[in-house]
Amino acid sequence: MSRRERPSPQIVDGKRVLGIVPGTPAVGDRKVPASDDLVMTSPHLLVRHAVAAIFVLLIVLALALFFDAPLKDIADPTNTPNPEKAPWYFAALQELLALFHPQVAGVLVPTAILIGLVALPYIDRSPRMGSGTRKVAVTTFTVFLVLWIILTIIGFAFRGPNWDWVWPWEEWHGEL
Amino acid sequence: MSNEMDRRDFLSRSWKVGAGLIGVAGLWTTADLLWPRVDAAAGEVRTVAADAVPADGVIEVSAAKAYLTRDAAGEIVAINEKCPHLGCRVPFCESSGEFECPCHGSVFNRLGEFREGPTPRGMDRFLVTVVDGMVIVDTGNTISGPGKGDPESIDEPPAGPSCSEGSGHA
Amino acid sequence: MDRIRSSTIGRSLFRSPDRATERDRAAGHWANFFLHIYPVKVRREELTFRYSAFLGVASLVLFGSLVVSGIYLMFFYVPSPASAYGDINTIQNDVAFGQYIRNVHRWSAHLMVLTVAAHMARVFYRGAYKSPREFNWVIGVVLLALTLLMSFTGYLLPWDQLAFWAVTVGTSMADFVPFVGDATRTVLLGGGDVGSATLLRFYVLHVAVLPTAITLVVTIHLWRWRKDSMLEQGGDQ
Ligand code: HEM
Ligand code: FES
Repeated sequence: MSRRERPSPQIVDGKRVLGIVPGTPAVGDRKVPASDDLVMTSPHLLVRHAVAAIFVLLIVLALALFFDAPLKDIADPTNTPNPEKAPWYFAALQELLALFHPQVAGVLVPTAILIGLVALPYIDRSPRMGSGTRKVAVTTFTVFLVLWIILTIIGFAFRGPNWDWVWPWEEWHGEL
Repeated sequence: MSNEMDRRDFLSRSWKVGAGLIGVAGLWTTADLLWPRVDAAAGEVRTVAADAVPADGVIEVSAAKAYLTRDAAGEIVAINEKCPHLGCRVPFCESSGEFECPCHGSVFNRLGEFREGPTPRGMDRFLVTVVDGMVIVDTGNTISGPGKGDPESIDEPPAGPSCSEGSGHA
Repeated sequence: MDRIRSSTIGRSLFRSPDRATERDRAAGHWANFFLHIYPVKVRREELTFRYSAFLGVASLVLFGSLVVSGIYLMFFYVPSPASAYGDINTIQNDVAFGQYIRNVHRWSAHLMVLTVAAHMARVFYRGAYKSPREFNWVIGVVLLALTLLMSFTGYLLPWDQLAFWAVTVGTSMADFVPFVGDATRTVLLGGGDVGSATLLRFYVLHVAVLPTAITLVVTIHLWRWRKDSMLEQGGDQ
């Protein structure tokens, strides 16, 4: 028959109460939830993911409203634009290519980065997670990350015609 | 291991070998399929009259994607427009009399010999012949450019300002 | 909602009508295709912003946005040097919301590179690449590479000066790879220089090969995420 005619179960905290026994719980009183307590994914994680998703979408939809994608002149194999800029995520690589032999900047460095990233979890085997307890790994990673970000910014905004240095507030040559 | 292989072993190996063969065949086919046909564009290009090639400057022959000029001995040289670094087209700067690559700032003298920048060598050249007074450039026949350490064969310091504003180099 | 769930159709759809106890909800979770990529329970700290900054989710959302806007663009774009540039112009000027969709696609692509990289950094600083998650980190590195390839192949398609020369320079690097460099470049470009064959090849990679690969690898990535999470909770998953 209809479920409404069943005696309404008593639910506390997502659990069906079967009976109430006087006394203190064997595990002691725990009022403050610990960080590795388990919680139901649905709805706790789901709503957060939904909010994150909507937030990201809103950012994209707003950016697209205000900034148009660029379109330059039609491709011309007989004329290289000056400066010639790679997409921003390769700007660090392009900056390296202006400094070192292509075998180093274009082959060795990217290969080393990829191999290093893949090998990382097999090199750093200590089970400790906190970033204070694995100084070597954190320092190395941070140094590379900061270097890469600086190179990207230089290549993206501080380079002008013939890859010479320019100040972005005087001449703007970044392309998205 | 004994020479005898029982039926179970044999079958279990055969299917692995079979799968391997199919994989190799698939890779082979893919590579062959994707390999482009011979580039028909490369070949001999009739350009300009030999008399028109200057000894103190360059002329561009776009049909061959090359510049023509003369070396110290007066021989005609055809220089590939493509930068030996990463393939940008390198323009000739009239005011300085140098080739200046816009991409990463490599600079070459009038003969495409290395002056500065990240390029691994001087600009590449094409084989040139003169037939009936006409310069023929064989774009299918590239000669690797002069090495980075080689001394320049002409003594032509930059004649004037470089073509890039706010330049960091001479 | 509860009434819909317990109707005949609702039962056939959701399988478990009740949502009163955690057990009910777990049953409903397992019975839902979209939810089953999630673990049933997560540690409380995973709910906080500082745990993941939701960057993995952001990457996934951006990928979705790219697929949707990309399909829209495909209706108006022919990958040949004779028409590509004109098609982009048409999209921008004559197609309803064309410019807007192109903007969405472009911005999603930029942001996805950013969020994927930031996701990696966040995972690193939390130490979340440690056992049992080593392999999911490796899968992540593959995803990073695929994301960059995706962006790079897409960059050529407008066939403007930006596109042409960025790809010329980018692919010339292959020349310096010992042994296989020349062959790789020739196959990728479909010839010696960037040309019509290159445009077609990059298009095929961009709209078919790479999205399929990313979809597959992301699926494995998320599946491992759930498995590793449950492993840590002492489950046998
Ligand atoms: C296409 C790109 C990617 C997508 C769509 C993606 C998506 C996700 C999602 C949705 C999660 C779970 C929730 C979260 O932590 O936010 C996750 C977790 C994870 N990702 Fe990614 N990811 C991508 C790239 C990467 C990269 C580049 C790395 C690192 C090299 C990586 C490593 C990890 C690891 C180790 C986890 C587990 C973290 C944990 O369980 O605490 N992922 N990813
Ligand atoms: S392509 Fe000429 S300097 Fe890099």
